[in-house]
Amino acid sequence: MTKKEITLLGVLFLCLVIVMYIFFRNQVKEAPLSSETHQKSERKDEEETIQKKKILLFFPSEEDSLLHGEEREIISSSLLIEEARQVVEELLKGSNEGYISPFPPETKLRELFLTEEGVAYVDFSRDIQEKHISGSSAELATIYSIVNSLVYNFKPIKKVFILVEGREKETLGGHINLSQAFKPEFDLVAK
Amino acid sequence: MLKFENQPGLRFERGVIKSELIKSVGWSKGTDFCLLNISFSSNTFKYQSLTRKNPPQLIIEVREGKKPDESLKDDSRTSSFHRENESSELKDPREIRTVVIDPGHGGLEVGAKGKFGTLEKDITLQIALKLKAIIERNLSFRVILTREKDVDVSLENRAAVANNNRAHLFISIHTNSSYRKEASGSETYFLSLNATDEESRRLAYLENNSVEFEERISGGSEDELNMILWDMAQTAYIRQSSQMAESIQNELNFLLQTPNRGIKQAPFKVLTAVSCPAVLVEVAFISNPEEEKKLLTEEFQENIAQAIFRGVLNYLKSLT
Repeated sequence: MTKKEITLLGVLFLCLVIVMYIFFRNQVKEAPLSSETHQKSERKDEEETIQKKKILLFFPSEEDSLLHGEEREIISSSLLIEEARQVVEELLKGSNEGYISPFPPETKLRELFLTEEGVAYVDFSRDIQEKHISGSSAELATIYSIVNSLVYNFKPIKKVFILVEGREKETLGGHINLSQAFKPEFDLVAK
Repeated sequence: MLKFENQPGLRFERGVIKSELIKSVGWSKGTDFCLLNISFSSNTFKYQSLTRKNPPQLIIEVREGKKPDESLKDDSRTSSFHRENESSELKDPREIRTVVIDPGHGGLEVGAKGKFGTLEKDITLQIALKLKAIIERNLSFRVILTREKDVDVSLENRAAVANNNRAHLFISIHTNSSYRKEASGSETYFLSLNATDEESRRLAYLENNSVEFEERISGGSEDELNMILWDMAQTAYIRQSSQMAESIQNELNFLLQTPNRGIKQAPFKVLTAVSCPAVLVEVAFISNPEEEKKLLTEEFQENIAQAIFRGVLNYLKSLT
């Protein structure tokens, strides 16, 4: 397959996912037509069945140039993508233990996809690039905070491809190549 | 014959001389004075000399008068700490002739910013120009910058400047920036191959299409195959690039008196398509206000350029 064909397939896949997403969202909106009492009892059931799962996030620190693990809880889901989304959302919230947040505060997660080959495509809002401080160390911190956190917590995820506004970008700030899927770098993690 | 004041620590390092013009370089040491004796095989030569500080050095450039085409440049670098004569070793046409220096960023793409408003693109250009001048003074190499002014140059075009000029060395200059306020020091990087699977796929393609490879790698058209081949160009030079990175990093450590930070590997976009040994030097952290102030001084810029130059020289020496 040529690069063009891969890109085309990627775009088609993306369209399919978006269509499915819209379809399902509409269905969910249509569903809660039932009575309020029914809704309430449903919610109770949900709360009872909510199961938490411990995960590890990686943040840079003021102390050294390494990434440090911070434990967090997410809601368990049968869908891996749902859990992976939560990991990225938690990363974007920043650290509770005084580590550095390597993301511009405005950054939003747009989408997250997983291919059969184990590549997670993580799509961020333009802020991650436009408001990035630039610089090799800063870009490496941002990238490997995401990549290591996703690969560490989910076995099926082998590599991570970072997208901005749904598109492949050259770099965040002129240094590290974003037009490739990243493998994790656990050498960057403090022992 | 040159007479020097004898100073503690002054020593003579003999380099191999393969010059047609210089017969021998001798050195004798007295209690107060030292003598440097250069003997020539011909009387028809011109010379220029200049002295520089930090480190103290005397540069003598000798050219044969009658054969300007061959442009023999036999430089004798002398300093009160060490004396070198390596340029005459490097006249073999198979050896390194063109160095491409890449001042990071430029134009609208300003790079990292310091607290006092210093822009990465300005510092990288200033250091690159100093490094160019030092190399041209000391070696008979062609030095090409990927930009000489404050203009935008795409990362692909920077690599293309090196490839189109058949560069033998590529040195990209950057200033670092970190979220950590305390981050400081110099680092030298070479390319890491993160996408290993993709590389092996491409190599497999190359093996099956080697004739095409030969034909197309020299072309400049933008067809897809060509882009793929240029994309992977650096993979063939990883070992040399790591050696050059190590040489440069050693000199930077020595200059800044920092413990060995080691060389680093990262997937830098600008290095991927360069088809010669290539490194990226992060000279200091512009995000650290103390280093930002240093980066603005002529002295620091000159010292960094000197250190990179010495690193390149040591790398070249290791090849012979």
